[in-house]
Amino acid sequence: MATAPKRQIVTFGGGGFSMEAGNPLLDDFVLALTGKRRPRVCFVPTASGDADHYIVRFYRAFGSDRCEPSHLSLFRRHRTPFDPSDHLLSRDLIYVGGGSVASMLGVWRAHGIDRTLRAAWERGIVLCGLSAGSLCWFADGVSTFHGDPQRVAGLGLLPWSNTVHYSSEPARREALHGWILDGMPTAYAADDGAALHFVGTEFVQVVASRKNARAYRIERRQRQVLTTQLGTRYLGDAEVVPLRRSELAAEA
Amino acid sequence: MLEATSGERRTRATATPVAAEPGAGAAPGAVTVREDQRLILALGGHEFSRRRGNEALRDYVLALAPATRPRVCLLPTASGDPHDQIAAFRRSMGGFDCELSHVSLFRLESERVSVEKHLLTRDVIYVGGGSMVNLLAIWRAHSLDRVLRRAWECGVVLCGQSAGAMCWFEAGVSRSAGAASDVPGLGFVPGVLSVHYHRDPDRRRALHAAVARRRATGYGVDDGAGLLVRGTSPAAAVSGREGAGVWRVETNGGETVTETPLAHAPIPDPRPAIDEVPAAVRELRRVREARARHRRLR
Repeated sequence: MATAPKRQIVTFGGGGFSMEAGNPLLDDFVLALTGKRRPRVCFVPTASGDADHYIVRFYRAFGSDRCEPSHLSLFRRHRTPFDPSDHLLSRDLIYVGGGSVASMLGVWRAHGIDRTLRAAWERGIVLCGLSAGSLCWFADGVSTFHGDPQRVAGLGLLPWSNTVHYSSEPARREALHGWILDGMPTAYAADDGAALHFVGTEFVQVVASRKNARAYRIERRQRQVLTTQLGTRYLGDAEVVPLRRSELAAEA
Repeated sequence: MLEATSGERRTRATATPVAAEPGAGAAPGAVTVREDQRLILALGGHEFSRRRGNEALRDYVLALAPATRPRVCLLPTASGDPHDQIAAFRRSMGGFDCELSHVSLFRLESERVSVEKHLLTRDVIYVGGGSMVNLLAIWRAHSLDRVLRRAWECGVVLCGQSAGAMCWFEAGVSRSAGAASDVPGLGFVPGVLSVHYHRDPDRRRALHAAVARRRATGYGVDDGAGLLVRGTSPAAAVSGREGAGVWRVETNGGETVTETPLAHAPIPDPRPAIDEVPAAVRELRRVREARARHRRLR
């Protein structure tokens, strides 16, 4: 009997070709996870409204010398020669871009892409993304796309909460702590340049494209918010930042 | 029978308030108007360029506004808020005495406006084309379906082209999923609308099929033409160029449908279009075509 495929999701707090031009460490990491010499990679730019400049930057970063790149446009489907679901399910890596998470989830549901992505995950296709492309995989999350922090429910492949750009936007931290005390699921938060790697629904490691980028687990312990800085592996060299002691934040 | 109009002008004074709704706290000026003062203009195909018919339709849109210095807002949601559409809108409308704005739902982070308050205080909301399915999905994700209904009830002129024309109807014939098929709209206006009517024969076929299946009234609108809806009933057909029109498609209960052209008056073009062919050249072409046909028949 064949073993079940390994289901993997990598969520960037920010980074990759979208935000770190010239630093391919996170993008190289997700390509390597596919285990293929020349993986088939599909970029899904829905959250940006299929912005042309974003698609062009993807093709520049994911050259055909190291992968087989494609993109899925849900705004110009009449000019897309393939069926979106068939195409996504035949890839090795699906890379979701940043932008408006609410708009993206609305469009995905209208085209049935939410179901396709779950099927892709179950088949062992690696899923990754940054910002909106990170929030979308979780059950719950905090977005600041519309100004003030808002709770957003994602596709729920991962039963946790998520937030992105964590250290660069203090408003998220405050809002997140309040919601964690209200019973929001345990959150995984990442800085720009840090990525959370999940196998199945379990968190396994943090990798980083910048030496000072970190990720955190934020959970409720006896009516207090417990924030744990997670051990981080910098992808630029072999250095490993050890797990720091957990710190208890006062009740928000 | 529909009346032909070539641009009508309303003033604030004629927009009689019928009720002050308690729920409209976000925009204090928003007052519900009578149903016959609610206007929707559905354009079958319109771009912000100087090609034939486009400037005429633009002038018609501005003339519908119930203010001397209309506040006009572009919603480019259906194509993902592209900068070129926003720039073309501003270029096309920029020479007129009006206040222009746009709302990009994909870039709210940098805009930080109260979308609801902004939309309810406009005179005209122009919705651009693109994917009708995406347009409605995104609007619903941001509760804009509710805001736009309120804007319509408050007398804000709603207009748009392509996806932005069909969205107001019960259904529209869209290519959002590739093949032309009828997809549900916001349902402010009963009936099924198809845009790009004679340019895209698949849409025409899909409209006829949808009218027969749904037992509904259908409207086919050409590029360069528009259907003006007052309240929930069609009030006028307008055309910005020769040959462009609006057709009503009705079911007789069976599989067949009837297609009737609606009478329309042409809107005068303010200046020659950049792709205008001189009348003498057009006449010569017609003569040559007729001769060629005659030769083939012999």
